[in-house]
Amino acid sequence: MADKKLQLEIKRQASPDDPAEWERFELDWRPGMNLVSAMMDIAANPVTADGRPTTPVTYDSNCLEEICGSCAMRINGKARMACSALIDNLEQPIRVEPLSKFPLVRDLQVDRSVLFENLKAVKAWVPVDGTYDLGEGPRVYPQQQEANYPLSNCISCTCCMEVCPQFNESTGFVGAATIAQVKLFNNHPTGKVFKEERLRALAGDGGIQECGFAQNCVEACPKQLPLTEAISDLGREVAVQKVKDFLRK
Amino acid sequence: MATAQNTTAHVVRRGVQPLRAAEGTTFLWRKLHSLLGIIPLGAFLLEHLLSNFEALKGPAAYGAQVHFLNSLPLVRVLEWVFIFIPLAYHGLYGVYIWLRGKSNIVYYPWAGNWMYTAQRYTGVIAFFYIAQHVIRQRFMGVSLPEHPYMAFAKVQHELANPWMLAVYIIAMIAICWHFAYGIWLFAAKWGILPGKQARKRFGYVCAALGVALAVLGLAGIWAFVGGRYPQAAENPPAAVSQTAVPAGPAALATVRTMLS
Repeated sequence: MADKKLQLEIKRQASPDDPAEWERFELDWRPGMNLVSAMMDIAANPVTADGRPTTPVTYDSNCLEEICGSCAMRINGKARMACSALIDNLEQPIRVEPLSKFPLVRDLQVDRSVLFENLKAVKAWVPVDGTYDLGEGPRVYPQQQEANYPLSNCISCTCCMEVCPQFNESTGFVGAATIAQVKLFNNHPTGKVFKEERLRALAGDGGIQECGFAQNCVEACPKQLPLTEAISDLGREVAVQKVKDFLRK
Repeated sequence: MATAQNTTAHVVRRGVQPLRAAEGTTFLWRKLHSLLGIIPLGAFLLEHLLSNFEALKGPAAYGAQVHFLNSLPLVRVLEWVFIFIPLAYHGLYGVYIWLRGKSNIVYYPWAGNWMYTAQRYTGVIAFFYIAQHVIRQRFMGVSLPEHPYMAFAKVQHELANPWMLAVYIIAMIAICWHFAYGIWLFAAKWGILPGKQARKRFGYVCAALGVALAVLGLAGIWAFVGGRYPQAAENPPAAVSQTAVPAGPAALATVRTMLS
């Protein structure tokens, strides 16, 4: 067992302004490894394949069970979660790069705060501040819960944005994740107080209209959110809202 | 993450900028682009291909169709408002959309992504083809609104050049593709078909429609090059008076048929 090796190539970059370079690593194989555990092994012994000492690889990660959304990166060219990328299922050498659409912090760590800004821009929350007791909330029927649950699975990993051809600096497109959250919070009996505001927000520059329906988002989403369905539904609702607003002006 | 230090007034310095909530006008322009692709441009494409199909009945029938279209009330206004201006807008804004997208089929070779890219390539083929087609067939050479019965000879002369014929065939397929997938995209993006299963089924409908339109269009092209009607000896002259006899035996035959 111990003589079985695995090959990793990781794109390293010390800071946003430093040049990027590839480093090769050769690690001992263990059963059930995933990419994060492989990088933990590198951290334990940060030496490249040609025996040169290096620094441990920087990356975001937390839960290691595909639920926190931290460890999204490009693995063999495709954006996905490193924790659920099982080594045995990957072609070697495994090439690991940071997400390409977000400002790089260091190595595989990127600044994905644009998603947080987008979620704030559409008020993706239920406006209950807890300062006084409002009593029981309105009842949510099981049928509605069933519809909302898949949307609530979003882990803010930004894979949908990374793979989207329209999510770039020219369009400033909001991305599928935020659109799906608009649908989720508009469906909520208390959250829907902001429904019209959210729809109007999505008609702003970089809004839902920039979607080119390449459907990469729904293919890449590790949590199988019904993203294209959400984009379609909100495409209709935003258009209807804009027409209503125009007629009531 | 680098964002943790300051959550109250965080500013994204680099990378993709956040949503400009409820600001700007791109929604209107983008939706207009989408809508114009179906009405009037899609409707016009249908009309054009059906009219071309008349060419299979011969030069006289084709001429009669061109004559009919040019006798519609306010035809010049219709032409500019429902064809030229929407075409120019849809084409130019479409190029702008293309330039702002960053295709990534190399990494993500998925069906939808291929169609996304194909929609841009077919669109730009359509754009350049239609530009030369309108200039050469509508604004250059013999004026068809004034001499509708010369239409057959004019088109036939254009298609006698094998390069031009190839351009017409490629463009016909590209445009039918672009329109068929455009209908599908319209239904998806305007929320007419939110359901995955419904979108898939409608995809087959649109594919069938696209193939049918392309066959219809190619049959129209065949009418001019299939050899059933003899080739005009030379292109109809650009300036021809109402009573002048057009050059070329085929054009002459056309006029004879029309008069009989």
